[in-house]
This record gives sequence, structure tokens and C-alpha cells, in this order.
Amino acid sequence: MPDLTSFTRNRCTSVEQIDDHTLRSSCRLQDTLTDAMVEVQVKLPDLEIIQAAGEIRRTYREECLDVGEALQKVVGVRIGSGMLKIIEGLLAEVTQCAELAFMVEECCHAVILSFTKGTLKDVPDNPREKKEFFANMIRENTRLYNRCAAFAPGSSIVGDIPPE
Amino acid sequence: MLKYARNKMTNVVVKDAGTLAVHGVLDDDIYSLEIDVTIELSEGKILSIDGKWHRYTTPDCPRAIPPLQDIIGFCIDDEGFNQAVHKIIGRKACRHYANLLIECCDSAKEAALIQKWKNASKCQPELRFADFINAEKSESVPGRVNASVRVEEKRRPDKGISTQEETVGDQPVAKPSPGFTIDLHVHTSPASTCSSAPEGELIQEAKRIGLDAICFTDHNFVWDPERIKALQKEHQFLILRGNEITTNQGDMLVFGLDEDIKGIISVEFLRQKVMAANGFMIAAHPFRGFLTFDAAHLGMTPQKAMQNPLFKQVDALEVLNGKVTPRENEFAHQVAEGLNLPATGGSDAHEVSEVGRYATQFSRLIQNEAELVEALKNDAYVPVAYRKENEFD
Repeated sequence: MPDLTSFTRNRCTSVEQIDDHTLRSSCRLQDTLTDAMVEVQVKLPDLEIIQAAGEIRRTYREECLDVGEALQKVVGVRIGSGMLKIIEGLLAEVTQCAELAFMVEECCHAVILSFTKGTLKDVPDNPREKKEFFANMIRENTRLYNRCAAFAPGSSIVGDIPPE
Repeated sequence: MLKYARNKMTNVVVKDAGTLAVHGVLDDDIYSLEIDVTIELSEGKILSIDGKWHRYTTPDCPRAIPPLQDIIGFCIDDEGFNQAVHKIIGRKACRHYANLLIECCDSAKEAALIQKWKNASKCQPELRFADFINAEKSESVPGRVNASVRVEEKRRPDKGISTQEETVGDQPVAKPSPGFTIDLHVHTSPASTCSSAPEGELIQEAKRIGLDAICFTDHNFVWDPERIKALQKEHQFLILRGNEITTNQGDMLVFGLDEDIKGIISVEFLRQKVMAANGFMIAAHPFRGFLTFDAAHLGMTPQKAMQNPLFKQVDALEVLNGKVTPRENEFAHQVAEGLNLPATGGSDAHEVSEVGRYATQFSRLIQNEAELVEALKNDAYVPVAYRKENEFD
């Protein structure tokens, strides 16, 4: 028998700016067992979640069948450091549907990455200048140091930058 | 027009009776990567992993590939597996690989469930998937495990995940500092799972650098007063108790409240509890930003930030925090000044070498928790860059 897939998943998350002060982030999941959508609206500049909606159209998990009400728990949460603990904690109070929390988190990560993308537009093409650009990012933000392999001691970017 | 988009795709193939082969692809506006993972079907153990970059940002991103091997041997069904992936792959390799690996392993769990049903169907051809799931549920609860569960390191004792890099060494004797200086924000291990600093070593370091006291502010954790008394006696050093409580509006440092609060509560509810206990509440690192941008980048100004209703619920702002950037601390300082709120400092130490980086200097002697709360409410105090000012940095 050929190697047929026993399970397949597609997850698409996107962010659009709907006006000067509002972003909409949507996460859509379609896999062999589940079909789901979560959407949050986020207010600028403090990245507060002002609206949350979602629907899980197809699932074998009974706890995931009705999630619209549960999602309202994340309204008012600000996207930022520590948000995962807050989102998981708030949703755990009202639902056992772990997929829901994961989809909200994916929406929030996408909002952050949309701003990261903006920052990366300033990266120079010249290799030496590029390295210096990222080294300066580490110097300006202690949280980046040792955050991943690229920013760990021993990398060409970190070079002789001392730990904070 | 879309501002950002990420697509992830996973496919799972049952390679033989005992192995799942998972292929995952992550493609977004910034990154493009893929991984191939093989997983033992019966125990969920990761047997192999390969990663490949197609697009990345920094010249050192390829360094993320070798540390992927560190996840081999972990079991995807273990409690805390996702947290282990974040800590091991996210920190040592790349958080985007961690994200994709979690997606792959979640897909593998679903595929394993389907395979289990198919096997059961061989004996019971009429068995529907829904009925199989209901029968499974009566035995155990399938699904993604709670990522907030603490990582059990016992599975891989040979590969520690501690990030502690510095130890207590022979250093110069502390210089005397004016006033009474307390590090109001310290995390100990194991009370805070994110900390790698045992309380005894933290206390020794605080004494060595000449702090007058430290305050243990572990996450949603109430220290036993008898244990604190014993530590004080053992080290002949003032140790105070606080608590860093996570609310729906972020972390709050709370003093004078003994209640053991679990879960995420609203900041308003916490405020009521603190007032009832006659305690004191400080907004911790109120403007801790992101990895590549901060609040100012989003168009936030101190004037706009002052309108946040959160600041009506707190008694003070932490404006010197050891885990945020100087710009973010300066921003917090401007907001505190604009709102005429008292300002405090604390290291937010998670490692021994970090204690005392920032602290709060009081004008008088403080001998116990009641006096600390009293001083926070009624006395003058200032946040200080203690280590730098005393040349320990």
C-alpha cells in the first residue's frame, strides 16, 4: 500500500488592519478531525483584545462544541509578555477545550509577528551591517540575549556582547 | 490588504505498525521552515527529527538545526511536553521550530487516536469513531495536554534545562549604602518554576552585595511564615514575603496579603482583596514589551498609557525592573510621575547573579512585613539601580 496520510492539518493565521486603531487576527484550522475558526480584534496602541469570536464546526471533542461564550473571557486581555499564562488561565475556568486557547494564542502571536515584520524591513542587505543591526537589537534589549540559537553566546551576532 | 499571514501544514503517515512519520511546514511572511519527525506509536516517544530552513532572518538562524536533536527521547503524551518544547527547542534552537514541532506532535496524537480506532475496528467493524472516542473518554481524557504543567526533568536527567550560568563566587565586600535598601521582587526555585535560584544562594548573594533585605515574590505562591523565620535565623538576614499574582491585566506585586490565590483573577477582584487585608499592590513591569519592538513603537505615549484603568487599581508602579529595557523602565517612570504614583524597583531575579540589580531604598529601618507595608504606604522611597551604583555590575 502506498504511504497514504492518516492525518492531515492546515492552519492559517492572518492579520489585517481594519482601521487606524484596530487589527483583526484570524486563525483557521482544518484537519482530518476538526474544522475551527477564531477571530480577535485588537485595539492599538495598547494591543487590547476588544472582540473575540469563534466557531468549531467539526470536532469529536464535546467540550469544543460551543465556545463562543468562553471566548469572551479573553476580551480585555492585552497582547504582551505573560499573555499565554493569562489566556490559558482565563479559558481554563470556562472550558476544557485546549484547542481554543491555542487558536487565541496563534492569533495573538500573529499580531506580534506583524509588528516584527515591520521592524525587519529596516534590516540592511550588507552582511556586516546586517550582523551589526541584530547585535544592536541585543544590546538594546536584554531579553533577546540567549533567547535562541542565533542570539546565544558563540553566535557571530552575539560576538563579545557581555550577558546583562 | 493582509498585514501578516502564516500557514502551517502537517501530514502524518503510519510508516509501519509502530512508527508515525510527521512532516510539518511553516511558511509565513518572515520565515519558511520544515521538519520531519518520527514518533513511536505505542509510547509516543520521539525517535528522530530533522529540520530545514528555507527563509530566515539572521545570519545565525542555521545554528538552530543541531539543537533540535535535544528533543529526541521525549514522550509527546507526557504532561508538560509542550512546555519542554518551548524551553528546549524554543530557547536553544528557535521558537518557530518549537511552534511547528508542537503542531506536528499534536497532529501525531490525533493520528495515533485514529490508528487506535482503526485497530479496534478490525475486531468491531461497526465501531464508529464517535463511539470509540466515548469509550476512550471513560478510560482517560484524550487531547492536548495543559501547557502550564511544570516540566518533569526526570525523563532526561542527562540534559538539564536550567539556564543558570553564573555561580556565587569570591567577590569584593559590599559597600555601605544610605537608607534601607530592599530588593522587592525576587523569584526563588522551586517556588517559581521559571527561576533557577535556590533561596539560600539568593540570600547569600543579597548579603554579599550589602542589601538590607530581600522580598520573595514567587508567582501565586504564599511562603510559610515559619519557613521564612527559619531562613532568617539561619542566614541572619531580613527576608520578607510578597507575592506576584497574575491577573487578567498582568502581574501584580502584592504585600500584606496571605491568601493563596490560584488561577487568573481580575485586577479589580485582587484590589478588593488587597484593600480588605490592608495590603499594598504594585503593577509589576507595567510596560514590558516584545522582543523586537516596544510600546513606543506601537504609538503608545506616556499620556495615552496614563489613561489605562489598571493604574486606578494599584498603589504604585514598578519603574525599575531587571527584566525590561532601559526605555521601558523610563516609560514606566514617566507614567508613574504623570499619575503621581509612588515608584519602586526590584530585580525580578530568576538567577542568583541578578539579585539586587534594582531595588527600593527606604528612608528608615524596616524590620518585618507589617513595617514594609506601612513604609510603602506612608514613607518616602526611591527605586535604585543598586548593583550598578555599588559597582557590582
